[in-house]
Amino acid sequence: MSQTIAHSGPEAHAASAHHHHELSFFNKYIWSEDHKTIAIQYLFTSLFFLLIGGLLAMGVRYQLAFSGAPIPLIGTLLPKWLVTDAGAIQPQGYNGLVTMHATVMVFLVVMPLLVGVFGNFLIPLKIGAPDMAFPFFNALSFWLFFVSGFVLLSSFLVPTGFPAAGWTSYAPLSANGAFNGSGAGQSLWCVGIFLNGLASIAGAVNYITTIINMRAPGMKMFRLPLPVWALFITAILLLLAVPVLSAAAAMLFFDLNFGTSFFNVQASHYGQPLMWQHLFWFFGHPEVYILILPAMGLVSEMLAVFSRKPIFGYKAMVYAMAAIGVLGFVVWGHHMFVSGMNLMLSSAFSFSTMLIAVPSAIKTFNWLGTVWGGSIRFTTSMCFALSFVSMFVIGGLSGIYMASTPVDLFIHHTYFIVAHIHYVLFGGSLFGIFGAIYFWYPKMFGRMMNELWGKVHFVLSFMFFNLTFFPMHNLGLNGMPRRIADPSLYDFMKSQQPLQIFVSLSAFGLGLSTLIFFINFFFSMFRGPKAPRNPWNSTTLEWTLPSPPGHGNFEVTPTVYNGPYEYSVPGMEQDFLPQNQPAPETARLAVH
Amino acid sequence: MSSRPSSLARFCILLTLLLAGVSTSWADTARTTNLWWMPENASAGGVLIDQLIYFILFLTGGVFILTQVVYIFFLVKYRHRKGVRAIYSHGNNRLEIIWTAIPTAIFIGLWGYSNHVWSDVLHAPPPADALQVGVAAYQFGFSFQYAGADGKLGKAEASFVSNDNMFGNDPDDPDAKDNFTSTVLEIPVNRPVHIRLDSKDVIHAFYVPQFRVYQDIVPGRIIEWVWFTPTKMGSYQLACNQLCGSGHYNMKAQIDVVSQADFDKWYQEKAKAVQPPAGAKLTSLSETKDQ
Repeated sequence: MSQTIAHSGPEAHAASAHHHHELSFFNKYIWSEDHKTIAIQYLFTSLFFLLIGGLLAMGVRYQLAFSGAPIPLIGTLLPKWLVTDAGAIQPQGYNGLVTMHATVMVFLVVMPLLVGVFGNFLIPLKIGAPDMAFPFFNALSFWLFFVSGFVLLSSFLVPTGFPAAGWTSYAPLSANGAFNGSGAGQSLWCVGIFLNGLASIAGAVNYITTIINMRAPGMKMFRLPLPVWALFITAILLLLAVPVLSAAAAMLFFDLNFGTSFFNVQASHYGQPLMWQHLFWFFGHPEVYILILPAMGLVSEMLAVFSRKPIFGYKAMVYAMAAIGVLGFVVWGHHMFVSGMNLMLSSAFSFSTMLIAVPSAIKTFNWLGTVWGGSIRFTTSMCFALSFVSMFVIGGLSGIYMASTPVDLFIHHTYFIVAHIHYVLFGGSLFGIFGAIYFWYPKMFGRMMNELWGKVHFVLSFMFFNLTFFPMHNLGLNGMPRRIADPSLYDFMKSQQPLQIFVSLSAFGLGLSTLIFFINFFFSMFRGPKAPRNPWNSTTLEWTLPSPPGHGNFEVTPTVYNGPYEYSVPGMEQDFLPQNQPAPETARLAVH
Repeated sequence: MSSRPSSLARFCILLTLLLAGVSTSWADTARTTNLWWMPENASAGGVLIDQLIYFILFLTGGVFILTQVVYIFFLVKYRHRKGVRAIYSHGNNRLEIIWTAIPTAIFIGLWGYSNHVWSDVLHAPPPADALQVGVAAYQFGFSFQYAGADGKLGKAEASFVSNDNMFGNDPDDPDAKDNFTSTVLEIPVNRPVHIRLDSKDVIHAFYVPQFRVYQDIVPGRIIEWVWFTPTKMGSYQLACNQLCGSGHYNMKAQIDVVSQADFDKWYQEKAKAVQPPAGAKLTSLSETKDQ
């Protein structure tokens, strides 16, 4: 299969599809090299981690609202590094919860859901390829990710518990077990992040090669659907950014265990704590875009499909994403305005950060342009995609505060930042992911998800999300530092306790509303109505295939005639023109 | 594909109104209960920062309301109706240029404004008459060092920082001999305070929300550019705002901003208590310890 490329003709395809029919159970479900199976493996694994990450968040919110109160029911069953004898969360345990919540959500949930699930599932189907360029690498990537997740979580069982230096693991706290009190957990964190990085690199190489080499005839770069463009740019970012983190994690592991002093200033006077921050954020800022670009691509597609309109400014969207990709590598210092870095550098990074807001603004305006004049269908996917835009606007606008260096003097490291990151990562990326799961579920599993319960999930998530995270802006403006286990110990935060409790109760609501999604997800897998090939009347290639598509995807390599979003073309009866169908004579396609 | 767009649209509008209503009531409750808004500013530089924050608040608030009103209007107006087809449009290049150019201009302008404030508040060198205070951070507390009777804090270097010399004072510098330490950061009102920050273990932070000041305290280096001018007397809390270990949650110190007269009295008492014995003035700290 790996040798077969899309251009090699229908016979080769039919043969390869046939050849792969008799797979053993092991090769079909465990070590599968089929990109669709790998995508589904990624989906189940990262949804499992979403549950874990969500539970950790519930622990964090419980502590902030009711610090010192034993956790009901399970409190006394938890390990001693996490809770007191009475079952209340300890400060060090709280640090561990915060650290692992962020680590799990970033590395084991949002990244794999976007890149692992939708990258794997959609790229070959959307470009008309039988599979990825390197199916073996693809399977390896999943299993490395799988192992990395359990390595990261295994610190739960270590006597000193979770790593407790924050997901950013700032050295020298992270580089010295005597300082952080959880050296074993921190070492496991380094190993987990390293393996996770290898998985990302293997995936990224695969995506880039596949998109460049395996497009079906006629699938020009500017006929690629936007999710593919987004994943292509994301893969380039991954390939350039992740190795830096992997290297940094390896160096940190050496500092922790073998007495080197890359970052450890105590071992010798040559260790450089700020070097960790530079390495981490050189990865970390492109990472932020890795976590949002694919969601932008997925959302763009849903907006076009359910507005029954071409994307407004398709090329502008592509250029904006490319600009984000390039500028994303020169803004990392905005995490370090007050880190002790040279103050002139702060000014320079502030400038590049202001510039990177421009392509995000362009994208937002083009999304507004896409729904303008549409014939909008409010499906569950569309509701999530629409709310993505609003939540991303809030997250983007709150980012402007931080880009301004003097304002950062005040709000740096406060809950304002926590609000910002969650508007982008939850209201943005995760809402985009939810929408995309409702949208591509029929293609993945051959059944439809329940729309009514989908809407219930949407309304509750949207409501509780905003009730949880919007007030965090206020908490932050009042000076609440992030990562403080008990804010009531500070005079200036005491008056905010009612708001703190309100946020926690909303967070529990948000957690519960996600369970509706899980029930719908698994119930529909067995009881959902059978999905037709093209339930949303969509134009891209995956909808020309059966749901779910067979092994090897296309029996005959499709030829592509049109751009990806030819909806409501004048002169056509049908309101969509699939990419693989030549336009009828009557159709008046616009040149753009 | 079927749905009830009007009810959904109605829900969206209701939610927006609710958010808008809540936001207007913030301003009122803000001052009285301090549940929603920034603590009252208590530094000279904070005035400029607050102006900038309000400027950005109105800018982003305006953009938010504008985009969301247009967006919701579109969602209601262009909801699916039988027999009405979507407009076929791939975009408009002139619009693309306009909505690229305008944000670019705004963002560059905002950068200019921000950078101006940044230069005034932090980047400018501290005034010559500033009170110099050394701040040492450690797991899990702060300690403060004052210049003593001679009014000179003396030289400090990161390589001298140790358990016995938390502030990294140069042992050969006589100016440091009469320095005294305090567990409370006592400072006079309306006089610039220039702090010198060092840490002996991990990264901590010097964060006082009322002063609108944040600076990480990094081991291995001494940070000498932070200064601020407190403008309101009162008691404040210094919080460590950089995760620094198991005791981070409770790493704080008291800051007392007092009148110049009260400060002088406090300072003289403290300074008197550490007068070094006569004759020991020019010997180094390490030698005195050995004797």
